[in-house]
Amino acid sequence: MQAVEYFEVECPEPLGAEYYKQITNDVLLDHNLIRAIHKLHIYVDPGVPIFVAVGVLKKISSMVRVQDFAAVNPLEGKIMLVLANETYLAPMLKIFWTQFGQEHVEQADRFTVILRGVAIGAKEVEDIVVADPSESIYKDMIYAFKCIAPEGFRIRRERYFKDKFFFVSSEDTLADDVDALVKSKFEMMGETMP
Amino acid sequence: MILVPVTYRGGIYRHSEIMDLIEDIGGYIVQKHVIAQEVVLLCFMPQDDIEILRRMAKPLGGEVTDSPLVGTEIAIVIPSLEIHHLPHPACDIAEYVRRLGAKSNMVGLARGVGKRIAALNDEERDVINEHDIAVYVLGNFEKCIEHKMPILRRGIDVPIVLCGAPTKEALQRIVDPPVDGYVGNVGRFMHRTKESDELAKLDEIISEITRVLEKKRVEIAKDPLSVAPARLMDLINENVPKIHEVTSPTPLTVQMSGLRVKLPYDVFAGEIRKIEIEDNITIGNVAQVNPSRMRDYILLKILPFSETNVVV
Repeated sequence: MQAVEYFEVECPEPLGAEYYKQITNDVLLDHNLIRAIHKLHIYVDPGVPIFVAVGVLKKISSMVRVQDFAAVNPLEGKIMLVLANETYLAPMLKIFWTQFGQEHVEQADRFTVILRGVAIGAKEVEDIVVADPSESIYKDMIYAFKCIAPEGFRIRRERYFKDKFFFVSSEDTLADDVDALVKSKFEMMGETMP
Repeated sequence: MILVPVTYRGGIYRHSEIMDLIEDIGGYIVQKHVIAQEVVLLCFMPQDDIEILRRMAKPLGGEVTDSPLVGTEIAIVIPSLEIHHLPHPACDIAEYVRRLGAKSNMVGLARGVGKRIAALNDEERDVINEHDIAVYVLGNFEKCIEHKMPILRRGIDVPIVLCGAPTKEALQRIVDPPVDGYVGNVGRFMHRTKESDELAKLDEIISEITRVLEKKRVEIAKDPLSVAPARLMDLINENVPKIHEVTSPTPLTVQMSGLRVKLPYDVFAGEIRKIEIEDNITIGNVAQVNPSRMRDYILLKILPFSETNVVV
């Protein structure tokens, strides 16, 4: 987790903490979320039992544009898009259909889209925003922490603020003072709970 | 005649001669895998005749190795079949023991997760007890293992090998009464076992399983089985043609003191009981033919010599 400025796992069992650090690292890498995290503190106590994750996210400013995943080639009377991957194919087609109408958008195969008789140029097509990754990051982050947390900890509380989040789970009912615990974990990272 | 589990690995060319030799000298082929141009035969061979097989295999480029796990069925018990345990580490361990000749089954518990809420139901208990050995792959915390292990082992009468993240010494300290084997530093992790230290851990699990099974073999040898499980396998193969229509990879799974037959109990149990082994001794005389808790399969439990007074 070199890209993360602060990353600590706190646990009464040192070996358990070591394993949880590895699990967190693996899951966040698998889910492509490492780059989105600025600070992360995890507290696990199997005695209580409780799992707490508090973190600060990095600012995600980059929107996904057509040029990020497709080559736009202007031809006579049409613009041909050759896609490098199809991750954003569906939202892109949706935007094209709304903007140009379905009769102007032709999908030759999985990786080729042709725009016929459209009023804008290739440069403008390249700049069309297709997706905003920050919209789904909260959902992705919670899913990742569900994988990281010990299995069976099904009573959960999670909150997402502008750039901070926390995730608490346990197999028992959460105690009333859980907010104080979360607050103290934010303070350990040198941050304040919003 | 003492039968020893071995693996033959060689080319597909003239491998039928090897198969004929194994059968002619009184051995049994438990499983045969053809992988591209390679053939792997998991078999039981008479101890004194292994050298003959080695000599025969040499000009064909074949290799004969000891495989103590051939002819065993192993349950890999994990708290659930969720992403927390699959595919790593449970599948890694299951695949590793399979490579060495064992038949492994993954038993994902319905309510094995958590600490306080962990439980084992009667079906899971019975399914685990149908195996030769159970490998429990638990988590990362001593406190959890200490709390849930007495619950998860309740009613289990097959040997248990316990894997968990705490050290072997810590596992030995927290589990009371002791189980048969322990492997420390193998808890929950979420990456593939490919580093050399991780592969060494898999080897450690294998050696622990082998050690425990060896102890069980010695126990069985004190009161020998009335018939070798592999011989029953051959007999059913010859006398029940429907077994050849079963699409499972191992329609007949050989265990250390029994056999799992993957045919419906209601239809075939009677037929199997009546199969004659030799001199009017039938399978029903030397083995219990029971319904298995696994689907509608049949489970044969071979009786020891002390109960039947025959060895065939």
